[in-house]
Amino acid sequence: MSSEIQKETRIDRVQLVYASVLDIVSHTGMVLVAAGFIAYVFRLFTPTVSIEEVAAHWHMRASEMQKVVHVPKGWSWVSDPLHGDVLSFVSIVFLSMAAMICLTSALAVFFQEKNRIYTIITFLQITVLAAAVAGIAGGAG
Amino acid sequence: MSQKTGDRIVTALLPPLFSGLLFLLPAVTFAASAPLHPVADPSSWWIWVLLLFVFSFFLGIISVLAGVGGGVLFVPIVSSFFPFHLDFVRGAGLFVALSGALSAGPSLMRKGLADLKLSLPLSLIGSVSSIAGAIAGLMMAADQVQLLLGLAIIAIAAIMLKSGKSGFPEVREPDVIARTLGISGSYYEPTIQKVVDWKIHKTPIGLVLFFGIGFIGGMFGMGAGWANVPVLNLLMGAPLKVAVATSGLVLSMNGAAAAWIYLYKGAVLPLIAVPAVSGVMLGSKIGARILTKVNTRAIRVIVIVMMVIAGLRSIMKGLGI
Repeated sequence: MSSEIQKETRIDRVQLVYASVLDIVSHTGMVLVAAGFIAYVFRLFTPTVSIEEVAAHWHMRASEMQKVVHVPKGWSWVSDPLHGDVLSFVSIVFLSMAAMICLTSALAVFFQEKNRIYTIITFLQITVLAAAVAGIAGGAG
Repeated sequence: MSQKTGDRIVTALLPPLFSGLLFLLPAVTFAASAPLHPVADPSSWWIWVLLLFVFSFFLGIISVLAGVGGGVLFVPIVSSFFPFHLDFVRGAGLFVALSGALSAGPSLMRKGLADLKLSLPLSLIGSVSSIAGAIAGLMMAADQVQLLLGLAIIAIAAIMLKSGKSGFPEVREPDVIARTLGISGSYYEPTIQKVVDWKIHKTPIGLVLFFGIGFIGGMFGMGAGWANVPVLNLLMGAPLKVAVATSGLVLSMNGAAAAWIYLYKGAVLPLIAVPAVSGVMLGSKIGARILTKVNTRAIRVIVIVMMVIAGLRSIMKGLGI
């Protein structure tokens, strides 16, 4: 896009900041997803549940499978993360937190710009996502 | 090779390749209807993972050519033709939709196509309802969800077939909410070589509809572009390109909220989610490259037919037929 068109096109600073953070986060996420999966399927780290065990139970409901084999879920992996399946799971967790990371950067810009309405909306959005991440929104248990 | 010949070859080869892949899957032959059975030899897991990757790759190509999100095709087809339980397919489906939105986001935002201020109020409402939808979906009996999924997919196919689109809808006066929130923007449109200014209206109805869309997306683990785009474009008056790009941004937030419900319930298996995500993303990149060389209208019709078939199959599974 030429600089003249850029001048004519109104793009808020907050949007450009969000885009830059998203760019970094999404690329990092993809690299982590690939690395985690390689570590998992090539058994570079011992999995908590063997791949064969997972394949033997992936036809079952998630809740039923959890009764038989304890695949990583939620934050259950934090105390013992150095396993192939856990590393792959963590990379997926990272992807699911991308929006929250970007929204935090947007919150800072809205706050600096004294844009009260969007500061509140962004804060509420982060709170909803944080509630989901913390399991308060009905995920845990 | 001329573009016309390339067009013919790609249009002729892609659908049979894709359908052929579906019918090669052993699940079709041996375990077409519910209930699912364990795979005969768990040590052959890599065959399923590889098949899922190849399938997702073609799905990525097809979804770009048909102008639909990967998630909406992924869940009904994979849950019908692979041996994975619907819970894991929905978990993976959310990440398929989420990753597509994340990777396309930065460039669309910099061009002014995906608009943060437009997306934030909609995603706030949608993320609350998508969490509710995910909880409801995981609490319901699997056959009920499968039945509802089938009905939803057929309804979505009907919406895709019937709903029109408007490149640059006319909005005379923004509503009070849109004015208060300062929702408007501009982007450079190369087809007319002009900067297009846009504003929106009917925000309150849009917010109500996004609540419903978020619930359905969370319940079935699908992307919701099929509904987001018509609401943003035809109802709220955002230009089509802004509607498509902003829908992705909304999805990246709603999907993340619902994803955590699946992550907590142990319904996200890396063994299923990662090949699906990487396959669709890789396929989407190829799809974007050949987009100008194929008859996208024909592909779209084929995709709608495939959705109807997958929907009917889902209904049959839900009914235990």
